[in-house]
Amino acid sequence: MATQLAVDSHARYFRICLSGLPHQMTSLDAARMTFVQLCLVGLTALGKLDEVCSAEEKKQMIEWIYGQQVLGDGTELSAAYCGFRGGSLFGPHDLCDYVAANSANVAGTYSALCALLLLGDDLSRVDRPAIVEALRCLQQDSGCFAPHPGTTERDPRFIYCACAISAILGDWSGVDKDAAVKYIVSCCNPDGGMTQAPFQESHGGHLYCCVASLALMGRLDAIPDQQRTLKWALQRQNCGYQGRVNKPADSCYSFWVGAAVELLGGHDLVDAAAVSAFLVQCETRFGGIAKFPDEFPDPLHAALGVVGFAFCNPDGFPRMSPTLLLPESLVDRLDIKAARRSNNGE
Amino acid sequence: MVRIVDNDSDYDESSSLPMSQQEEWSDVVPIPQDDGKNPVCPISYTDEYREMTDYFRAVMAAGEVSQRAFELSGRVIDANAAHYTAWVYRKKLILDLGLDISEELSWVSEISGRHIKNYQLWHHRGALLALLLDPKSLEHESQDQRVQNPAIRNELQFVGEVIDNDSKNFHAWSHRQLVVRSYGIWDQEMAYVETQINQDVRNNSAWNQRYFVLTANQSADEFVLSEEVADREIGYAVEKIKLAPNNESPWSYVIGLLARHAPAMLYERLLPKINELAADKDYAIAVTSTPFYWSALVDIYEEQAKALSVDERGGVEAFAEEACDSLAEKYDPIRAKYWEYRKQALRTAN
Repeated sequence: MATQLAVDSHARYFRICLSGLPHQMTSLDAARMTFVQLCLVGLTALGKLDEVCSAEEKKQMIEWIYGQQVLGDGTELSAAYCGFRGGSLFGPHDLCDYVAANSANVAGTYSALCALLLLGDDLSRVDRPAIVEALRCLQQDSGCFAPHPGTTERDPRFIYCACAISAILGDWSGVDKDAAVKYIVSCCNPDGGMTQAPFQESHGGHLYCCVASLALMGRLDAIPDQQRTLKWALQRQNCGYQGRVNKPADSCYSFWVGAAVELLGGHDLVDAAAVSAFLVQCETRFGGIAKFPDEFPDPLHAALGVVGFAFCNPDGFPRMSPTLLLPESLVDRLDIKAARRSNNGE
Repeated sequence: MVRIVDNDSDYDESSSLPMSQQEEWSDVVPIPQDDGKNPVCPISYTDEYREMTDYFRAVMAAGEVSQRAFELSGRVIDANAAHYTAWVYRKKLILDLGLDISEELSWVSEISGRHIKNYQLWHHRGALLALLLDPKSLEHESQDQRVQNPAIRNELQFVGEVIDNDSKNFHAWSHRQLVVRSYGIWDQEMAYVETQINQDVRNNSAWNQRYFVLTANQSADEFVLSEEVADREIGYAVEKIKLAPNNESPWSYVIGLLARHAPAMLYERLLPKINELAADKDYAIAVTSTPFYWSALVDIYEEQAKALSVDERGGVEAFAEEACDSLAEKYDPIRAKYWEYRKQALRTAN
């Protein structure tokens, strides 16, 4: 059985996705920015970005990303809407009487900043104060974050985005860290797992968002029972990783849970061969990695599968930061202190 | 009613014309999407989606408050339920137009089959419920009376159907917690949990809900686990372990409960029951061949050792280390490196 990843096949898959997605993926239209990021992450993690995307193409992608920046009009009302949109279906920038018609979203902002960095941009056209102010507006009394104004959604996904944004910009003034930590601690379950709100089921995706947020804030010490959390994470491995107790293994958790394991100091405790074998089983003949064996790929499972594979096979791939979906070399070069492994107490 | 796949039954001849040819929309100048010169990950929209979003952009940019904008928001959402601002606009239109909340809930139910794991849909539902039924209005009613309230009955029926179709839908269980917590209907929830666990003893979402109901939303600091309740929960978990010993849920549930709220009960009350099970000829082999049995012993002995003096600890820690060896070698080899690490940690703590 092959235990190598089909690198070229996956690189082609990400290239194709960057060029266009089929109409069946219309439900991703408001999150295109994240899928752009994921394709670039996948290529970077494979060590193929420069081979697949020319300097000119990278410049063009950078322009498209900046085209989604919502700058606001300087008023208090528009402040919470600033940052990067999830796609171009909103707006237009210069014509909205109703402010919510052209709204950024913390996930869009996080994905845009990561994508820009991967493309070699220096973020000089990013309106940093506006983004930091938007974060301040979006943090709730509970310490959690809403993704944008006007919704009751708030959960660790957006805490993570806020922390990642702050780490990349090197400006935490938009985040009340103590409040965010308090909220995350309230999401720690008796079984050691973590979830989206108190009393909900322990879930690998929220585990990642909680643990990575704490790592970026330098507060991994806040986990009530770190040993039990490490054990919960390691017990998600049945070949690949599952996201919850008694659910089937799914390739994306090789990142969500796999990265949490890295951050909790469990790198040496994983059965790396078993994770790798599962991910190879999830490879498709179209290129790209699917959620389960024998299914169709999508950019999320493809990118996170590649990064998860790289955690288990560190010698074969560029080292990716478990906190930021950026290469460690970039984290070091940009001196993103919060994402340094040394910051996480390793 | 939740319809799972139903693309064509709402076919309406009047809406089969392009919007540009519909009289109703003749006063609106559609706004085409500006995707820049070199779009990244562009989606090959259907003509229908492209047109509806061109018109939607126009009315939303103007903040138009109208029935037609409201209906269009519904079509856009059904085509792309993750369009995050469409939901914001729709909620505003409902309030500005004074639309019927119950009807909106019915619409959400109708489209939910196509978007059953969409975050925005479930949050919209939660927000509608809060608008429809103020918890304060039920303050003086008993739980039995509250459960009969039409809005609550409707909600429980909806979410019950979703769980019938997918017993582990994360949003559905989360929504149940919202309804139970908002309206204080804890008793019916424990009954619901037991029904779900009876249907599938491996349903971890149901086991998680049991903890939620047990603690009735009190924080870890506030909730006091009495011996009586602990014994009842231990008994319940053991009964379910007997049905399927190689099932992580009941083990994880009972150990987590005791470890958080009454750690001494792990060895004072749970350990004797586990030992009984391991000695019971009907269950011994099935139970002691699971990783969960041995892992439970490690957790329990580790806790027990903390309560003993340094002199007394040795025997208990030896048991724990032997259990780690059994796990690494035989019962949980995929985590062999973890169990070796755990054994070392036990030694260092000594």
